[in-house]
Amino acid sequence: MKWSILGPEIYFLAVAAVFFIFSLTRPNGRRDFKVALILAVLGVAVTLASVLREGSLVDGAYQVDLFSQVFKGLLSVGFFLVVCLCSNLNGIQERRHSEFFLLLATCTLGMMLLVSSLELLTLYVALELTSYSLYALVPLRSGAGQQMEAGIKYFLIGISTSALMLFGLACLFGAAQTTSISELALKLPGLLDTPMAFIGLLLTLCGFFFKLALFPFHVWAPGVYQGAANQVAAFVATATKVTAMAMLARLVSMGDGNTSLAHVLIALAILSMTYGNLVALIQRDFKRLLAYSAIAHAGYALIGILSMNPNGYAAAVFYAFAYLAMTFTCFLVVVKVASDGRDLAIVHLAGLHRRSPLLAVALMVGVLSLGGIPPTIGFTGKFLIFTAAMERGYFLLVLIAMINVVVSLYYYIMIVKTAFLLEPAEELPAISLSAPAKILTAAMIIVIIAGGLFPRYLFQLARAAVQALL
Amino acid sequence: MTMELASFPYLSSILLSCLLGLLAILLIPREQESLVKGVSLVFSGIALALSIYVYCAYDRALGGLQFVEKVRWVEPLGIHYFNGADGFNLPLILLTGIVHFTGVLTMWELRGRVKEFFAFAFVLVLGVFGFFMSMDLFFLFVWFDVSLFPMYPLIAIWGTTRKEYGALKLFLHVLAGSALVLPGIVYLGVASGLQTFDILALMQPGVLTPGQQRFAFFLFYFGFGILAGVWPFHTWSPVGHVAAPTSVSMIHAGVLMKVGAFGILRVGIFLCPLGWEFWAPVMAVLATIGIVYGVFVGLTQTDLKYVIAFSSVSHMGIVGLGLSTVTAEGLTGAVFQMFAHGIMTALLFSSLGYIYDKTHTKLMPDLGGMSRVMPVASGYFIVAALAGMGVPGFASFWAEVTVFISALKVYPLLGAFAICALVLSALYMLRVVQRTFYGQRNERYAHLPDVSFGLGLPRMILVAVMVLFGLFPRLMLDLIQTAVIPFMGGLPR
Repeated sequence: MKWSILGPEIYFLAVAAVFFIFSLTRPNGRRDFKVALILAVLGVAVTLASVLREGSLVDGAYQVDLFSQVFKGLLSVGFFLVVCLCSNLNGIQERRHSEFFLLLATCTLGMMLLVSSLELLTLYVALELTSYSLYALVPLRSGAGQQMEAGIKYFLIGISTSALMLFGLACLFGAAQTTSISELALKLPGLLDTPMAFIGLLLTLCGFFFKLALFPFHVWAPGVYQGAANQVAAFVATATKVTAMAMLARLVSMGDGNTSLAHVLIALAILSMTYGNLVALIQRDFKRLLAYSAIAHAGYALIGILSMNPNGYAAAVFYAFAYLAMTFTCFLVVVKVASDGRDLAIVHLAGLHRRSPLLAVALMVGVLSLGGIPPTIGFTGKFLIFTAAMERGYFLLVLIAMINVVVSLYYYIMIVKTAFLLEPAEELPAISLSAPAKILTAAMIIVIIAGGLFPRYLFQLARAAVQALL
Repeated sequence: MTMELASFPYLSSILLSCLLGLLAILLIPREQESLVKGVSLVFSGIALALSIYVYCAYDRALGGLQFVEKVRWVEPLGIHYFNGADGFNLPLILLTGIVHFTGVLTMWELRGRVKEFFAFAFVLVLGVFGFFMSMDLFFLFVWFDVSLFPMYPLIAIWGTTRKEYGALKLFLHVLAGSALVLPGIVYLGVASGLQTFDILALMQPGVLTPGQQRFAFFLFYFGFGILAGVWPFHTWSPVGHVAAPTSVSMIHAGVLMKVGAFGILRVGIFLCPLGWEFWAPVMAVLATIGIVYGVFVGLTQTDLKYVIAFSSVSHMGIVGLGLSTVTAEGLTGAVFQMFAHGIMTALLFSSLGYIYDKTHTKLMPDLGGMSRVMPVASGYFIVAALAGMGVPGFASFWAEVTVFISALKVYPLLGAFAICALVLSALYMLRVVQRTFYGQRNERYAHLPDVSFGLGLPRMILVAVMVLFGLFPRLMLDLIQTAVIPFMGGLPR
């Protein structure tokens, strides 16, 4: 029963197979959604049931440990949450719905394989499975061609970074004569002074910088967030980011304690935060703004990883969870307010406090959490990250990050202002939420605030998970 | 410092009364405005009663930290949920209770989005209470920001003059302050090597080196100083005060600026006493400039709220001057002044709020002869103005005298400047009183009703508190001394 530890992966493969069969039958959007929802709930259950499983397959190339299982849990939750948003999948033609769910499942499967990969080739194959699913998901939206531009941009930049990464993997192999990550972790600290190993590791990281939308690999993000269907954008913004944070933590931990690597990462973190926040200041489209805010958050998350100490990795894991919760909440508002599947300009949020007080509160909690105002999970995540960075003595980095936080508060508070203070140009009807949608919204608010106030168990889980890395 | 564990969590009950009030308000349908107000009054009353109880039940003979509640929160990082009351924070907890309660009463006639207003106000006060009683740096910062962000919607939605500009300016300024405070807090927690954010553990002599203390004090002084209205970072405060609705101005000038000053005391001075001694001359100079500057700018204003706002800058300068003397008297006076100024400013804004609600103007040239139109409402303002001048018989007199005596000893020149400025402050307060309440009556407002008993109640409470502590200053001075004297005695010299 050695293969039983692959429960979540096998399950999501089966989900993909179900939707593959559906895609061959007559299109039926309601059926697809209902089946997807049930399968997603089961998926969360299956994944959580296997959280404590441990073991390794294929000569250590595939490792199942707490670190990978925690992230698989997060990914299955992310999959479930995104499926929850699909009750009105208006941005995508009905005959494509089953393909949409199919690609969503394969993408989740790819990411699950990714977080368990302890071998460079497995890792690359899993990453490509994820990427190709996304390349197809992004242009799936029905529309006037904006989605095509986004899709092509995403594809071209994606394969370019993929090529860079492949080159990096080759360099790593050349320097260390192994493709096993656990062996690399033993050899690399001694080898990182050689240019080949150093550049190899850095280029390998590029593949995940791209997924995280870290400066200078961010150029796809605004277009994809805006051009893809709202649900797809929500998936790209939550699940793929979480995976990228996990993989960066895993790869950076191989070069533990290397100062040159830390310096490169510090530079990237500062550039990413500053660039993302400054450009976000002038955005008018809400999803586009979230894209730039994601670029900034890539920088914050990287601070935890580049601290290269247990608290830092744990803080990054915590932040991945926090980021999933708060970004999803913002996209929940996007999907519900723009229920016909259009893009949501910030001005269209005006009067939200009357149209739907619950969504307005959720939006406020979500953006304030992104802005790092306590008592939200976003603040606690930042606090943990800053503590870890301070343990390394990066005072200036923390100060720059805090200045960035204040800059970002300007555009976050403008969203709150629009939702609570401004009135729409013409009278808009109230937004009626179904009972499950109300429960989901309220649950997200509670998760964000409770996660901020009671970080104890989550942080302990994160610390236990990163033990597997070290 | 001795520590008395609480038998019943009175301090958490204060927080809980705010939290339950908030939840109750959120559950009431938004149409039932009077129910929202009633519920707000009840829960703010409970918070006030509890804070009065804690103030009176504190054992002065024993001193130290009492009503302590300590629970481990996040163990790997040494974060505790740690509340306690001592002679420093008790006056401020009482102040918050009074200003919140009277603020709810003052807003009794609010129309439009009542539910949201009181919900945000409760969040704000929850943060302020938590900040004053917290003895753990993590929670201290959490409460600090919780008390700051509701200011934005409160001013931007319900405010008046240039409200969006004022709200944004205030919000970004005070959060820029927190951008200095948070790195400072994390720095101290990590630099000590103790893996804790417990203030009592971090304040032990020898935990932090002199260099670390100087550096961290700088961050805290400017970080919290922005909120305390320290010159030259005060510019947000007049704009914000003027834009805010009445009770928000009361809480803002009365309590929130004290949050800044108390942050300097609790975090800066407690944890970095050597840094405090090092930076004290800078603090003294900035505080004196603030006092003088506030007076002179106040002299030229025509908008009554601007006058009060600049008098706040000036009075907060007195707090800063007291803190900068590094003496027991100075510290005592500073804490007393925080309390006295809080009550006095709340009264000024509250009484002006009534006049503004009726006349819809707060410009001095438009008003005039108001004491003949609404004698009682005018009376409250005049009483507050007298208190602002430091007339004996009011709490602020004792506070200011204590600060100035110690300032004259330590910084004779600066102290003399500050006292001269305060004489001038009498001039501008009298100018306001004379132009607004005496002289030619503006017939446009002649028909307006005077303040009713119900609406006058919050002002009466504030006057009573001011007079009580003015006639019996030892009720408060003794309490503050129980904290100041052991603290100053324990300083490394």
